[in-house]
Amino acid sequence: MTSKWIGKRVPRLDGPERVTGELKYMTDYHYNNMVWGRVLRPPYPYAKIKSMDTTRAKNLPGVIAVLTHEDIPGFNGFGIVVPDQPVLCEDVVRTTADAVALVAAETEEIAEEALALIDVDYERLDAVTDAEFAITEQAPKLHADGNIHSHVVIKNGEVEKAFQEADIILENTFHSPRQMHAFIETEGGWGILEKDGTLTIQCPGQYAYRDRLQIARALAWNPARIRVISSPVGGAFGGKDEITVQIYLALLALHTGGRPVKIHYKREESVIAGMKRHPFKVKMKTAAKKDGTLLANQVLAIADTGAYASLGGAVISLAIEHSCGPYKIPNVDLEGYCVYTNNGIAGAFRGFGVNQVCMGIETHMDMIAAELGIDPIEIRKKNVYHQGDVSSLGHVVKGSVGTWKTLEAAEKCDLWINREKYKAEISEPWKKRGVSIATSFHGVGMGIGLPDYGAASIQLLPGGRFEVGVGCEEIGGGNGTVYAQVAAEILQCDVTDIVVVQGDTSRTLDGGTVTASRSTYTGGRAVATAAPNMLNLLTKAAGEIFGVSEEQVRVADKKVVVYDADGKADSSLSFAEIYDYLYENRRDTRVEGHFMLPKEKKEIKGSGGAPHRLYGYLTHVVMVEVDTLTGETEVLRVVSIPDAGKVINPQGLEGQAEGGAVMGIGYALYEDTIIENGYHKTTNFSNYILPTVKDSPQIETFPVEELEETGPFGAKGIGEVVMIPIIAATISAIHDAVGVRIKHLPATPERVYAALKARKDQTNQSNEENVM
Amino acid sequence: MMVSEIDMISPETMEECLQILNEYEQEVRLLAGGTDAVVRMKEGHWRPKLWLNIKGLRDLRFICEEKDGIHIGPLTTHTDMVQSSLLQEKADVLVHAAKEVGATQIRNMGTIGGNLGTASPAGDTIPALFVLDAVIELSSVNGIRRIPIEEFFVGPGKTVQHKSEMITNIIIRPQEENEIGIFEKLGPRKAQAISIVNVAISLKMSGDGWQCAGGKIAFGSVAPTVIRARKCEVLLTLQELNEEGISNIASLAWKEVAPISDVRASAAYRRDMSTALLERGLLRLMKRWEDR
Ligand SMILES: Cc1cc2nc3c(=O)[nH]c(=O)nc-3n(C[C@H](O)[C@H](O)[C@H](O)COP(=O)(O)OP(=O)(O)OC[C@H]3O[C@@H](n4cnc5c(N)ncnc54)[C@H](O)[C@@H]3O)c2cc1C
Repeated sequence: MTSKWIGKRVPRLDGPERVTGELKYMTDYHYNNMVWGRVLRPPYPYAKIKSMDTTRAKNLPGVIAVLTHEDIPGFNGFGIVVPDQPVLCEDVVRTTADAVALVAAETEEIAEEALALIDVDYERLDAVTDAEFAITEQAPKLHADGNIHSHVVIKNGEVEKAFQEADIILENTFHSPRQMHAFIETEGGWGILEKDGTLTIQCPGQYAYRDRLQIARALAWNPARIRVISSPVGGAFGGKDEITVQIYLALLALHTGGRPVKIHYKREESVIAGMKRHPFKVKMKTAAKKDGTLLANQVLAIADTGAYASLGGAVISLAIEHSCGPYKIPNVDLEGYCVYTNNGIAGAFRGFGVNQVCMGIETHMDMIAAELGIDPIEIRKKNVYHQGDVSSLGHVVKGSVGTWKTLEAAEKCDLWINREKYKAEISEPWKKRGVSIATSFHGVGMGIGLPDYGAASIQLLPGGRFEVGVGCEEIGGGNGTVYAQVAAEILQCDVTDIVVVQGDTSRTLDGGTVTASRSTYTGGRAVATAAPNMLNLLTKAAGEIFGVSEEQVRVADKKVVVYDADGKADSSLSFAEIYDYLYENRRDTRVEGHFMLPKEKKEIKGSGGAPHRLYGYLTHVVMVEVDTLTGETEVLRVVSIPDAGKVINPQGLEGQAEGGAVMGIGYALYEDTIIENGYHKTTNFSNYILPTVKDSPQIETFPVEELEETGPFGAKGIGEVVMIPIIAATISAIHDAVGVRIKHLPATPERVYAALKARKDQTNQSNEENVM
Repeated sequence: MMVSEIDMISPETMEECLQILNEYEQEVRLLAGGTDAVVRMKEGHWRPKLWLNIKGLRDLRFICEEKDGIHIGPLTTHTDMVQSSLLQEKADVLVHAAKEVGATQIRNMGTIGGNLGTASPAGDTIPALFVLDAVIELSSVNGIRRIPIEEFFVGPGKTVQHKSEMITNIIIRPQEENEIGIFEKLGPRKAQAISIVNVAISLKMSGDGWQCAGGKIAFGSVAPTVIRARKCEVLLTLQELNEEGISNIASLAWKEVAPISDVRASAAYRRDMSTALLERGLLRLMKRWEDR
């Protein structure tokens, strides 16, 4: 069957209003009688609160409300998995990202001034700022249960024995940066107490229904009295998965007499208070046979989750699940800790722990290949698992697996075939070029233990158009256009006849998060589940109108057609006419579709949720040029080869592949939020170095489509893996260019230069020794 | 001081501007392109009682050649300098430096007067002005003073300018025949980057070959103010500027600098980078000289 919409370069339906700026950021809305909210942060990373006095702040003219923990009607805590983060601190602060009090005032400046008038008496405590120290007995316990938030272990085979039998063993330690989401719109939004006593929270997020539950828990309210609107713009990348300011907005809105209250973090506040990626220390020991067959992998990963858990436990579980790459390694011993410290807060971020471990296994693949003299693609092909194989974790992989095909495509791409030629084309004599590849994978949807489901509604509108409602937010990625394509394909209409509504608890069903590479798969499949119900509704109505049985009616090409006994088209009705009939007869015009995501039945013992039923796969080929005088690295070309299953919208996929590549380059070469002794040294975008367009390479995307039978039209998910292998590939390409391996990311000019210098000193020394 | 309490006046003429500078008793600060001023106001560092907005003073935006040198008005933007054929011909090093400032938007708003006024040791146009022997003209109601650029800066953010004064002209020497210049910048990325180290070089070549008749070198971001590298300058004429000669001169650069460690880079790296940038700059200059 040829498809009309699936796999087509359908321009984004919301494209024009985005590029013209007509679509507003929520924090750019304005209400005439609005008030400003601000949050008080502690000056110390770890301290006891001895007393608090808000009198002076309350007396400042223009101040409308000053709130502390005493003003929280319900539970003083939030957190997706365990609510261990206080909404407003009561007796202790564990990070400078904590919130101590809230202010609402007539102007932002008065609110700011009021913050300075809140008197808090602190007793400073020694901060715990090293994750490895935090695990030890001597470390102060930041939470009642100690500093280990979670500990996961996966064991398979016998690693020690394998190490004895191996021909080659590599052991290295890798450090990864505290990457910042750096979304264009910082955390912010509006809280409005409506006339009927309900609350409306307008705040960009990644799961309106869960935000609503977390707000309700803090307010001790029936969640049905809270409406959360969380779409359609701002960017998130995981950084708005957890509660950001929703509860503060709700609390303040209860004290402003119905006036809308706005909070909008300045970038400086976002840097301190916002979630970050977990910095990891990954110790990895990998063994192989002479012919390149992987024998064993031993991993110890320690993740610094900062003061609170958020999704840290899930991040370390995913890291361990993915720590052997998409390979078959018969003997593994994998262990991960998620640890509390006083270093800000870490949580969900695109890649979710996989970035950090991929760097380890892919670097080792490269080193093994080099040492054994095997081609880096060949050695990977030799070790990858295929659909139906047993993975390193010991489970049979049931979903579609495209790694081999992506490697095959990499081997045949121009950059790889002609790499020696391109490497020789250096721009200046003191520069050197390198080309490298890396491959990775990423689970789609939640792991075992977290119920994962999708839902969508479709409503026939006057005039014959359809409103498709999907819970999954639009936060900039373009999933709404995917939903319209799926709906239009099945309903046999134009994409422009589809109105997509997302991220609004009053207008959409709960369909889970827009995270975990799941929104195309889940939302798409939910729409594909609802659409046949709409077809039924249409054919049934037409059958009634014509007085024929439903079997004689079919939807085709924007119409409902009645066929005569010979199967010839007899007459037809437009969708608009069907709507009129249903409306006149007061009949329902809305259908729903629900489904559960497929899951593995058996959890791998101790893994905290592994394995996933589905994974997306991707291989990157990268060319860099290194300036040997300064240590600067420039990424010149990237080839991104995703296996996304069926590509529903190639243009959307390229958008993800390109954005992901640049975000991966940022992780590999530039970005780190520096915290020393619990205090942020990075303050804003002057010293948090994001790649700009000038640092962005030429990026080509060549998808391979390994269809996933459970997905909508065979689609999987790709939102995270697009940024993962490029990290290791870039670092390996630096090695290919100048012969040094950077294991502490980002590979800033200073780190690359230091490595070059150390190597030079070493060779000088050994030359001297040779002379003597 | 809250931002909303700050006043702003936009004088129509330079005389009016100098009057206000002279008479206004409380803290006043000039506002040109605002690309430094607004950032520092937001951060709470610069909260004067009055902003004196001079962006509209068209008379202070010019580039022209006079008997005593090339005159550049303080309100000349970085883009103006990049596009000036006079500067391209006779002050290439300043054009290169202006090209490296921020990105297009910043170059369209930011001015050379503002770059001097901020007096950052990392200011990108300043090393170029050093090697072009710039003279800074300061005006007040009492008259004019002319200060050689090497005496203009006192320390980071500090200059010899008095409260009642403003920069009204920047005079540079035009490059001579066979004089070529280059500006090298090392930032953490390619655009919108504060220099970790930068260097401006202007060399007078003696006709054919790789012999240099004399030259000037100035480093930024490696000392409390921009500094000249006089030892390296002397070496320029003592040997041919082939690969070996260049390497010899560059290796001396670290003796000229006294950098600090901060979030952007360590002192040790900055020191090594003064050598690296000087080497890279000289190599590129000689390539250009060879290809001319
Ligand atoms: C994103 C970004 C990137 C940047 N990148 C760079 C860069 O790469 N390199 C670089 O060097 N700088 C950079 N800057 C800093 C800034 O853009 C430059 O220093 C610019 O030249 C300042 O000019 P302005 O006209 O905007 O100055 P303003 O901000 O208006 O003023 C700066 C200071 O100069 C004083 N001043 C202005 N005019 C005069 C005058 N006529 N007489 C006396 N004092 C005066 C003001 O009172 C103020 O103290 C960057 C800034 C930003 C925001």
